[in-house]
Amino acid sequence: MKRLLKRWFATPARLPPAQAARLAAWQDAAPAVLSTPFAQARYVVVDVETTGLNLLTDTLISIGAVAVVGGRISLADSFSVVLQQDRVSRRENILIHGISGTVQREGAPPADALLDFLAYLGKSPLVAFHAALDEAMIRRAMRQYLNLSFKHPWLDLAYLMPALYPALARNHRVLDDWTGRFGIHNAARHDALADAMVTAQLLQVALVQARLKHVPDFSALRDLEKSAAPGFPA
Amino acid sequence: MSAIHPSELTFIIRHAPFDSMELEHVMWMLERMHLAYYAQGEIIASPEQGEATRMWVIKQGVVLGEQSVAKASDSDTWLELMEGECFPLGALLAKRRVASIYRAGSDTFCYELAAADFHTLLGMSAPFRDFCTRRIANLLEHSKHVIQAEFSHSSAEQQSLASPLSAIIRRAPVTCAPDTTVQAALEIMREQRIGSMVATDQQGHPLGILTLHDVLERVAIPQIDTAQAVINIMSTELSSLPPHALAHEAALLMARRGFRHVLVVEEHKLIGLLSEKDLFALQRVGLRQIGSTIRHADTPEVLQQAAADIRHMAHNMMAQGVAPEQLTQFISTFNDLLTARVVELECAAACPSGDPLHESICWMALGSEGRLEQTLKTDQDNAIIFKVPEGMTANQVREKLLPLARRINETLDRCGFPLCKGEIMASNPKWCLSREEWQEVFTKWVDSGAPESLLHATIFFDFRALYGAEYLVEQLRAWLTDHVRGNQRFLHQMAANSLRNRPPLGIVRDFIVGQGNTIDLKLNGITPFVDAARIFSLATGVGKTNTVQRLRASAAALRVPATEVEAWINAFLFIQMLRLRHHYEEASAQLPDGETRHLDNRIDPAQLNELDRRILKEAFRQARKVQAKLALDYQL
Repeated sequence: MKRLLKRWFATPARLPPAQAARLAAWQDAAPAVLSTPFAQARYVVVDVETTGLNLLTDTLISIGAVAVVGGRISLADSFSVVLQQDRVSRRENILIHGISGTVQREGAPPADALLDFLAYLGKSPLVAFHAALDEAMIRRAMRQYLNLSFKHPWLDLAYLMPALYPALARNHRVLDDWTGRFGIHNAARHDALADAMVTAQLLQVALVQARLKHVPDFSALRDLEKSAAPGFPA
Repeated sequence: MSAIHPSELTFIIRHAPFDSMELEHVMWMLERMHLAYYAQGEIIASPEQGEATRMWVIKQGVVLGEQSVAKASDSDTWLELMEGECFPLGALLAKRRVASIYRAGSDTFCYELAAADFHTLLGMSAPFRDFCTRRIANLLEHSKHVIQAEFSHSSAEQQSLASPLSAIIRRAPVTCAPDTTVQAALEIMREQRIGSMVATDQQGHPLGILTLHDVLERVAIPQIDTAQAVINIMSTELSSLPPHALAHEAALLMARRGFRHVLVVEEHKLIGLLSEKDLFALQRVGLRQIGSTIRHADTPEVLQQAAADIRHMAHNMMAQGVAPEQLTQFISTFNDLLTARVVELECAAACPSGDPLHESICWMALGSEGRLEQTLKTDQDNAIIFKVPEGMTANQVREKLLPLARRINETLDRCGFPLCKGEIMASNPKWCLSREEWQEVFTKWVDSGAPESLLHATIFFDFRALYGAEYLVEQLRAWLTDHVRGNQRFLHQMAANSLRNRPPLGIVRDFIVGQGNTIDLKLNGITPFVDAARIFSLATGVGKTNTVQRLRASAAALRVPATEVEAWINAFLFIQMLRLRHHYEEASAQLPDGETRHLDNRIDPAQLNELDRRILKEAFRQARKVQAKLALDYQL
């Protein structure tokens, strides 16, 4: 508990100048134009692995990200990082993610890892499946290590897909349902980069379907997503 | 950290050719690849998109290839590509448009590699290059489809009934003033060989039309005074269309009004004249139509036109993807028909049915015509065989036949079959012989084995009856087959002679080029197969003259496996196709300025695309194998 309190209330360390400069460069970049048509837009599909599902106590282990540019995934334009952990995650979690304790300890220093991620991301909008977890984990890490309030446009495929395919909504819920429906194989489930890859393929499917439904851009997709999100008055 | 997930790598190296490539090259490729999604039914690549822009590797899903060349009959050739397969290798190698429509058969994800990177990778990785260019059968298939797509594309543009009239009218119309006399107008029509005459006023406005068709009813039968003004007998009810009207509108107008001509008029001025015939030329010229034209032709002029139609149709057939085997046979068949008609017309005049010679002469085709392998470049190679009627000597018959043969040779020349420079023609007294005389000549050649005799044998032993008393030719064939079959010495000499001509491949399997960096497709490519087939057939008593038939018919007796023979035949036909295409391209390049149409067989291999170049090498390699078989059989 003491440890948790320390993490929440400690004043964040001041970044060394080189890191501060990288962060400033990212902050100064022009924000993404959300009305850019799909054919020109770059979206970054992200997946994170964590020590557990508790947003309060668990921490970020790795980030995998894949860019979808103009509807295509450039294999070289992808990103993967493991964050150095001060405490190795529980045994059962190691089994799920397959990231061993050694690799966890050997990962990149968190501030560097996050700055690398920001450099890769640029201001491209983020996409995930069940984005809430990814968003919360990334936001907290950004605040903790970079003292950055990470406010970024996000899109959640878990809500967008049912909105695009109302007929399938009833019996397609988790990521595996949707990827199975479109024949997308996942070579290595619970590996951030591999999960980001299948999620990116799902986004490719969504973009084609969106075009058919005359949904032109990211902001229109977000409107559609919100209409399907829980709590939205039907 | 940029990262390619190991699973992409493990996927890709499960499939050929990536499984045999160096890891470094696979990584190089992956870094340049994009993953694209195609919804079920979506078109991935089609001929309309132009030159192939990328290589696709199917990550998951099914891709269906559909024949885009509109086929009248069969809806065959469905290509089904599965996970791990690459396409369209042929089109990429050839830097051409794809021949089929590739469509996602299910939700499909494909890795894509840009064409430029594909070509870099070809240069970088030998296993990849081999995979893309290896199997000749596949490649031939690709090449054939690609060529079909190219040709059907150009012919669709040139000939569609959807073309505007401005694109079809060929020359300025021939016109006269309305007060020209009927006599003068008809003379102009005859001089210019035109079927119609339009009278216009000084501003070029059309006033009336006279067609050859009208002449009978309006001039000849009523026996009018031909000194009167032509406008008096012209049709003044004119049908006209603007130049931007489409060809099918003209066809409809003609059909509706029963006119054979439509005037193309822009701002009231006559700019062109379109006949029914011009429109027919747009559509596929029917085989039956040409055939019947030839059979009923009674003047050389009509036959000349038919010869032009044959060439035109040969192009159309190439466009429709007719294989070279059928195409050359088709050309030969129609040339036969044409030649037979020429011979028939001349013979009817020279020796009418009462004449003792009427039933005892036969016109023979030799050389490529004898083998039914004519291309658009065809010199005359012909001869006459006759039976000496009672009471006459061979010399007397010859004397009578030579002027006839000379007329036939000249008429054929006018129909587009140039006179043979080597004088191998029926009008040469040496080649207008009785059956007994032919046997003597053949015996001399077989016995002497001199270079000239062997050369003659290669031309004359491919003889075939074309018109007349065919039984004479059959007797000569039976005699020759018998005479040569067991003659190992002669066959050995023929084989040795043929092996002097080697396919132009260097030790490292690159081309050895001759004058102007070119290869003679006929001498270096076709001749080894033709020569070998002739020797095989003579050795095994096969009476056929066609190279493909000879190879197939003699293979069993020579204990050559069927697959091997088919590889030879494919190689032979591929070279034939390159030749036909080369002739076609040359002929169309020379057509605008008119007359000279000297077609050669020389191509520069550097001008060929990568695909054709590789197949040509493979074809030459097959030619070597055929020669190796000859060398083995005759211990050379």
